Amino acid sequence: MRDRNIFLIVLAFVVIGPFVQPKVIITEMLIFGIVAVANNIMIGYTGMLSFGQAMFFGIGAYVAGLLLKAGMPLIVALPVGTLFVLVLSIAVGYFCVQRTGLYFICITFAFNQMFYFIAYSWTGLTGGEDGLPGIPRPSLLLDPVAFYVFVAVVFLACLVAMKRIVDSPLGLICQTIRENPSRAAAVGYNVKLYKLTAFTIASTFTGLAGTVYAMLYGIVPIDQIHWLKSGDFIFMTLLGGTGNFFGPIMGAVGYIWMSETFSLYWARWPLIMGIVFVVVVLYLRGGIVELIGKVYGSIQRAREAP
Amino acid sequence: MSFLILSQILNGFATGMLYALVGVGLTLVLGVLNLPNFAHGTLFAFGAYFTYTVANLTDSFYLGVLIGPLLVVLIGFVIESQGVRRLYAAHHDYQLLFLFAIALILQETVILIWGPVGFSLLPPKFLAGAVDLGFTVYPKYRLALILFTATIVVALYLMLTRTNVGAILRAGIENREMVKVLGININKVFLFTFGLGAYLAGLAGGLATPIWGLTPTMGFDILPISFVIVVVAGLGSILGAIAAGILIGLAQSLTTIWWPEAANVVIYLIMGLTIILRPQGLFGSR
Repeated sequence: MRDRNIFLIVLAFVVIGPFVQPKVIITEMLIFGIVAVANNIMIGYTGMLSFGQAMFFGIGAYVAGLLLKAGMPLIVALPVGTLFVLVLSIAVGYFCVQRTGLYFICITFAFNQMFYFIAYSWTGLTGGEDGLPGIPRPSLLLDPVAFYVFVAVVFLACLVAMKRIVDSPLGLICQTIRENPSRAAAVGYNVKLYKLTAFTIASTFTGLAGTVYAMLYGIVPIDQIHWLKSGDFIFMTLLGGTGNFFGPIMGAVGYIWMSETFSLYWARWPLIMGIVFVVVVLYLRGGIVELIGKVYGSIQRAREAP
Repeated sequence: MSFLILSQILNGFATGMLYALVGVGLTLVLGVLNLPNFAHGTLFAFGAYFTYTVANLTDSFYLGVLIGPLLVVLIGFVIESQGVRRLYAAHHDYQLLFLFAIALILQETVILIWGPVGFSLLPPKFLAGAVDLGFTVYPKYRLALILFTATIVVALYLMLTRTNVGAILRAGIENREMVKVLGININKVFLFTFGLGAYLAGLAGGLATPIWGLTPTMGFDILPISFVIVVVAGLGSILGAIAAGILIGLAQSLTTIWWPEAANVVIYLIMGLTIILRPQGLFGSR
């Protein structure tokens, strides 16, 4: 399928979704859709797996939440929150890209927990274990429909921006690094610098999604910065499929749908999610994208055969 | 003040030895199987809970510590033989997601079986109470813990450096393909390593119960610490994991004296410093 056709399908989902399902859930799907696609810039395009993306999501949410609580307008809170994450991700990323592979995973994971502990201990600022409550929405966005439209616009803008990034020369260099880092270095690319760039871009979009999330329920629960959330982000990306730019959106939609559904019936619902993760790993590598590809392929073949 | 520092150093050693056990377990699995074992923390928790249950059933803490970790090994065997083994050919991303899923499943299972409320377990009578060390009065159990874990760590180190099994494991860390080529059944090696890793996590969990008590989230709490140990140690370095475990235990308990809230953050500072000053880790060669 051509990218433009997929984009139209995504657009259709954004428009029709809120009529079929509660707006809050679709809103959440879009917010985490940004995160999953951003995550794929690292996993799918550059070949780096970060187990710490929740720190950027959480910090974006905390900073924007605190600014909104302090009475700052939206036009200040969101950009400042995002910028804060941008600067922070450069600093954290600098450490992380020094090492590759398993080491990289370990370091991102450990940094995630460090920021979790800071948020957990600094109760005066973040509310600690209870989360950061009472975040006001600007009066323009108080209406659920208005807020949905706002999130939808942010989501589509992020998609377009990220698509342009991965299609740019920068995106191609990232893919070269994924395929063969030593050859990329031999050709003259500064591998660490490009990895840091990919890390920063992905983390900044994740942080931006976090700033929007702060307004969704008016509270930032501490779970949003816990490393478990980082694992969920990876699951969303892999469930959708890393082979396609738009794939992770389906992963985010599937994840939110499952967690909303299972959590209604059983307090121990993460157990079911764990089982779903296992099934995906054992039988659905390549994610929903590959599944659709297979179904699509077999329909094509059935049509061609007389 | 100096009494306080001295007893905090002892505390740091007690914590550090437990960290070393957990860290060596994770290092072995990471080195030999090339897997980031995200389920390591929950295996630690299972070790604690099994120890608690067996100790209560048999009325003997010693039996608990003896049998509890062995039950964890069984869980480890199931995870390796039924799941991990199918994924060696798969990409890292999927191995990681699989182990993350196992961690979630085990974590929820702990709550299902033992409930969301924590427990505490008393040390055995022989080790209850405190002993006067001259500079401070110190709990007997912690002293015994330091001595016992030190023995285990030394035995483990000798096993890894002086026996055939140890040689195979170290060879596996250096070069897996070569081990396979030499005609050693690599599946058995992997199974054994995963089991040993699970045992060390479970043993640390069991030994920790009289000090830290039992909470359902204990596994998720220790996991990041054990990953920090691996990074500070150098990937695959056994000696490094022991040293890093003790170092981090000491750093944590000494920070507690001056700034208790920072005790959980200071270990990440050590990690950050290590990455800047010695990116390959304290004892790493690569």
